[in-house]
Amino acid sequence: MTRRLPARSRFTSSRWAVSIAAALGIIGFVGAAQWNSSLARQEFVTSAQRVLVSAAQQAQREQEQLRAEIEVAEAGVREFQVADAGSQAARERLNRELAAARLKTGLVAITGPGLVIEIADSERAVPVGESATNYIVLVDDVRDLVTALWASGAEGITISGGLTQGPSPERLVATSSIYGAGAAILVNAVPLSPPFRIEAVGPEGLHDRFLGHPSYLGRVAQRIEAYGLQFASEARGEVTLQAFIGNTRMRWGAPLTEAD
Amino acid sequence: MAARLAQVSLFLVAAIIGILLVGQLRSQARPLELSTLSAQELSALIETLSARNVELRDGLADLREQIRDYERAQVQGQSDLVITEEVLRGISAFGGLLPVQGQGIRIQAEGSFDPVAINDLIQELRNAGAEAIAVDDVRITARSVAVLGTSTIEIDGVPIGPTFEVLAIGSPDGLQAAIERPGGILQLFEQSIDARFTLSQVAQLSLPATERDLTPQAGGAVE
Repeated sequence: MTRRLPARSRFTSSRWAVSIAAALGIIGFVGAAQWNSSLARQEFVTSAQRVLVSAAQQAQREQEQLRAEIEVAEAGVREFQVADAGSQAARERLNRELAAARLKTGLVAITGPGLVIEIADSERAVPVGESATNYIVLVDDVRDLVTALWASGAEGITISGGLTQGPSPERLVATSSIYGAGAAILVNAVPLSPPFRIEAVGPEGLHDRFLGHPSYLGRVAQRIEAYGLQFASEARGEVTLQAFIGNTRMRWGAPLTEAD
Repeated sequence: MAARLAQVSLFLVAAIIGILLVGQLRSQARPLELSTLSAQELSALIETLSARNVELRDGLADLREQIRDYERAQVQGQSDLVITEEVLRGISAFGGLLPVQGQGIRIQAEGSFDPVAINDLIQELRNAGAEAIAVDDVRITARSVAVLGTSTIEIDGVPIGPTFEVLAIGSPDGLQAAIERPGGILQLFEQSIDARFTLSQVAQLSLPATERDLTPQAGGAVE
């Protein structure tokens, strides 16, 4: 003898089945994706690569150590300059010139009106057959944003990367490089990861000029639109930019004197 | 009983979905995982980091030498204004405020360049370790970028013609190798915009100072 379920129960039961099937489907999909990606990563890391990774990490640690030591040494030099025992008038004039030169070249922290930009990889799923690199922030994107900012009148720019505990913002100076090594973006040879945060100090209207500049509209704005790169920008009444920390000494050249 | 079992099952399913989704989302965020870079990319990264560390070590040695000079002058009761003047000249040269001379390369370029191509060329020279750059007598500072002016490309307000000269101070061999490498920027421009280049190493280049006033007008030094 079969007992027929009331109509409402049958409906509920089939909804349960659909829900559970859908849930299992999602588990299967996500689990497979997770498994595949971890497998791919494991296969990718060969023993030779492990040696290279270790060397790169060591070079990064050494860089951090050197930068910290430079910061301390620079503070030491500045202390001597302030306490110079020479003629008072000559010392004051020289220190004024030195402060002005440091300000013009990005060697001191500055504050003023400006803007903040954040750009990160797309969260969209990469369609089958399309290159995944279209959906991540590329070095050209960062360069285009920086070009648009300088061309719009920025007086100083820093770039930082990562959500937390990332390296401190890198101030752009005359020798600053913005370089791509695979998926990594190096600013002043410091490897940064997304989301990238670009801060700039500049005169009134910097944000509007930036958003209308061809260097922004030409390539990066189109990629943001086409691939869904995450992007936000905002004018700020006050932005503070850290000073450049690094080498300012020329190895291959020297200042040209009047006698030259 | 059946209802309780269904609740427990649902809880378990939801928990598993949650854990997997978090894992997947984390793997899609892109922290700089060195293990995801190829051997070639890692080698390039190590090369860049090592070159940078050499520069930093030189800079640190220079700063320590300055401190020793200041200390010596203090012990001998002399004024150390001369040392400070030297520091000022070094900083001014670094930032493009003073003319500089030194070894490097000269590139004569001709072709259908747009501002992006010229900015890429400047950036490539910086990546290769150039210490000072000038394009057609315009000294490149942090703020110098090529833009499309009213009728032609301009850098710092100075028009750049279809034929222009780039001077870069730095290791002549290092700069030339980076710029001329297979698949490098010169080859790319030769193929993509039909550009032509003549590159030569020069023992003594002279680059002018910038004519721009780089004093921030909107921003000021943090006290």
